[in-house]
Amino acid sequence: MPKKVRLPIAVVLALVLALGIAGAPGAAKMAFETTGPHVDEIIMPIIKEQQARRIAYERGESVVWSGLTQPEDIDRAKAMPNSDMTMTLGFHMFYLCFNMRKEPLASQPIRQAIAHCVDRDNIIRTLFKGYMLPMTSFVPQVSPFYKADVPVYPFSYAKAAEVLDKAGYKLDPVTKVRIDPKTGKPLAQMKIFTPTYEVAATSAELGKMIADSCQKVGLPVVPEPMDFPVMLDKIDIRDFDMYVLAWSLSRNPDFLYDFFHSSQDVEAGYNNPGMRNPEYDKQSELLRYASNLKEAKAASDACQMILAREMPYVPLYSRPYIDAFRKDLVTGYVPMKGFGAASYNNLWTTLNIRRVDRSGRPIEGGTIRWALSEEPKNLNPCVASSAYEQEVLSRLNDSLMAMHPDTLDDMPWMARKWDVGVWEPEAGKKGTTVTWYIEKGIKWSDGMPFTAEDVEFTINYLKANKVPRYLPATQDIAKVELIDKYTVKVYFKNVSYWHIYSADLSFLPKHIWKDVKDWKGFEPWKEPHPKIKGYSKLVGTGPFILKEYVPGEYVRLVKNPNYWRLKK
Amino acid sequence: MGFRSYVIKRLVYALIVLYVILTLNFVLFRVMPGDPTKMIIDPNFTPEAKAELRRQYGLDDPPLKQYFTYMGNLLKFDMGLSFSTRRPVWSELKERLPNTIKLFLCTFILTSLTGMRLGVKAAANPGSFTDRVVITAGLFTNAVPTFFIQLLMLLLFGYYWPILPIHGTMSAPPPAGAWNVFLDRLWHLVLPVTSNMIVGFGSWALYARNTMTEALGQDYIVTARAKGISEKDVLYHHALRSVLPPIVTLLFMSLPGMVSGAVITESIFSWHGVGRYLLDATLQMDYPAAQGAFYLIALAVVISNLLADIAYGLVDPRIRVGAGGAK
Repeated sequence: MPKKVRLPIAVVLALVLALGIAGAPGAAKMAFETTGPHVDEIIMPIIKEQQARRIAYERGESVVWSGLTQPEDIDRAKAMPNSDMTMTLGFHMFYLCFNMRKEPLASQPIRQAIAHCVDRDNIIRTLFKGYMLPMTSFVPQVSPFYKADVPVYPFSYAKAAEVLDKAGYKLDPVTKVRIDPKTGKPLAQMKIFTPTYEVAATSAELGKMIADSCQKVGLPVVPEPMDFPVMLDKIDIRDFDMYVLAWSLSRNPDFLYDFFHSSQDVEAGYNNPGMRNPEYDKQSELLRYASNLKEAKAASDACQMILAREMPYVPLYSRPYIDAFRKDLVTGYVPMKGFGAASYNNLWTTLNIRRVDRSGRPIEGGTIRWALSEEPKNLNPCVASSAYEQEVLSRLNDSLMAMHPDTLDDMPWMARKWDVGVWEPEAGKKGTTVTWYIEKGIKWSDGMPFTAEDVEFTINYLKANKVPRYLPATQDIAKVELIDKYTVKVYFKNVSYWHIYSADLSFLPKHIWKDVKDWKGFEPWKEPHPKIKGYSKLVGTGPFILKEYVPGEYVRLVKNPNYWRLKK
Repeated sequence: MGFRSYVIKRLVYALIVLYVILTLNFVLFRVMPGDPTKMIIDPNFTPEAKAELRRQYGLDDPPLKQYFTYMGNLLKFDMGLSFSTRRPVWSELKERLPNTIKLFLCTFILTSLTGMRLGVKAAANPGSFTDRVVITAGLFTNAVPTFFIQLLMLLLFGYYWPILPIHGTMSAPPPAGAWNVFLDRLWHLVLPVTSNMIVGFGSWALYARNTMTEALGQDYIVTARAKGISEKDVLYHHALRSVLPPIVTLLFMSLPGMVSGAVITESIFSWHGVGRYLLDATLQMDYPAAQGAFYLIALAVVISNLLADIAYGLVDPRIRVGAGGAK
């Protein structure tokens, strides 16, 4: 068994020191207000070209240069005297996946030896100039479910050779290739699929670096860059040995079930490595159907221990969120763990950002400019699926719960509290219930009250229309019961702690949507509001209202005068 | 063969070509590796949700049924709903077409006029400074990739000397007043059109220079000069007129290339046009959107070829007689 080792902290520290960034691990916690917004208007020019976006930031035509990933961009932003950099750990994971269905990768020692051959520090230093965080866990470090004390496989050719020798994979001194003890023949060639150099140069080079390392201990591994859709096809039909790819994970580790439970080793399922481990299945079922946080945490820990032993993936690195803000123009942005300071998931920056005067003092009101990197093509909340649409919609809508930017704990938001209970969907079977107590006094942006009826309507509407984006959230809902104007109870078909997140949707105003028959074709941002001149049917409960959207040019948001968290 | 029969024959050819293109347009996207629902790599998007999405996209229908639906819809100019936006493709294209046409027309007119004017001037003064500049600059800019020139200009006029807008077709928000809006839009055209002109004028200039040089060596030009006709008239009324047929053809034939060239220009200058739409649709495997954009480009190619054939027949009667075969 591998020894427990600490993360290569030197690299993490080097990264943080190199950046000198607010919000880095260990940096002072950010103060934030739960009221706002503090600007009257946000103009969001759509600038798709990367260089043009950089120039716009440098010219002050955007207060933010968000999601920096390229070392040269980070260096450039850092060098600007009026830039303030923020960095937070993210939910990103780049990994090497094994196909455990076939030999020799079905053999655990081979996978463990390959894991020992991965020099994360060198990869991060060479390919990313240190601007990535080495990752050895299956749950991101930023998640409250991260288990720090799982076994890891430090980079060491000697250890890799030791694991292989112990398992009987002896090195042929002539061919310098390991002999398979089961067949007595040299190991067959193993390929690492990567996207092409043209599409993702760092991924392709990373595949080559891992393959070169493996060859040094006698494992015949070669990189094979290929067209990305072809790669996805091959993964889907399980025609691969290894591949490298990234996941954008989440705070909650329910993905551990989807990624590695044997029931997900089916077409379009996400168990690509083909892991089939009864012990793991049991623990991941306990995780998926945990009735409370304690059970979920225990099952998550157990899953992580098994994964560390089985090694269906080798987690490689995690990309932190690095954003640059023009400190001569704005202040008040809040670095949020897992999401960064400029992410659309970060409600706190939307509420707290404000302009500054020439001496750097915060001022209320006014307009800020915030560049969008893509077109928010469809602002129908039922259809909008990409992050680009959420960049706009998230500022127009609030949710029942919020997430604390430092701890990532759930916070009451439009729901002042919630109760989790159990019911019997049928005799002898249990299901979760979640009762939501909605804050009184919340209004839609057109002045109509937001009530439990809207919550009930939204769930029923999404469920009845089988809206694909919300299907994973609504398919386990059995029924919704309206208790009173501000209380609604959601009944689920089975027990799961995670169901509390299933009803926290992007809500639809009943008074607008009740007459919408074609949910796919409805364009609420284009249709005039039935009662208020100058408003569209895109009505939300969030801090801003969509004032104007000129496709391809800009989005203009103005402060919602009916927002329930306005500072009095 | 009469002109009418000539046009009808060309029209039938054009329709056949269009049919073949549309069929290939359908087939190619289906045989391409990948599946639009596979591009959604999100652990929260379950296999059930993907199956539902495939059903709603119509991707679980048999291919032949999909083909007939596609062809039937195209006849009605119904290009379906985009997979990624769930909006009608034709609505999205209509939004973008004016921008692409505006960019294309300005580029086309300025590039061809500048190129031809310089080409004629160079041909009239062989070995002169203008001639040497036209040949050198024309060959150089024609050989340099468009995106390189455009990124260079973006850097020069967006960053080092920040006097020009670097993205979009208008300011955000635009200024008040119709005249100011017009000027604002014109201002936003400067970088994309100038960069296209720099890249494109060379081929026009070289073509015009070469054809004019050949024409200026003909006997009828010597005769015209001997008759004492002014050099300007010789150039523009005699020589240029005689090289008009191939230039007219080149004019029409260059139309589709400029439409597809919009992909690069629109991407670099964040221009909301058909070219960028095509690129996004192809990358996202958005079949209806990509098919719609290709349909428009195919129409542009076929119509341009048809117009070139007709124009050629009009300016040079030998073509339509020749096309009738050796009777």
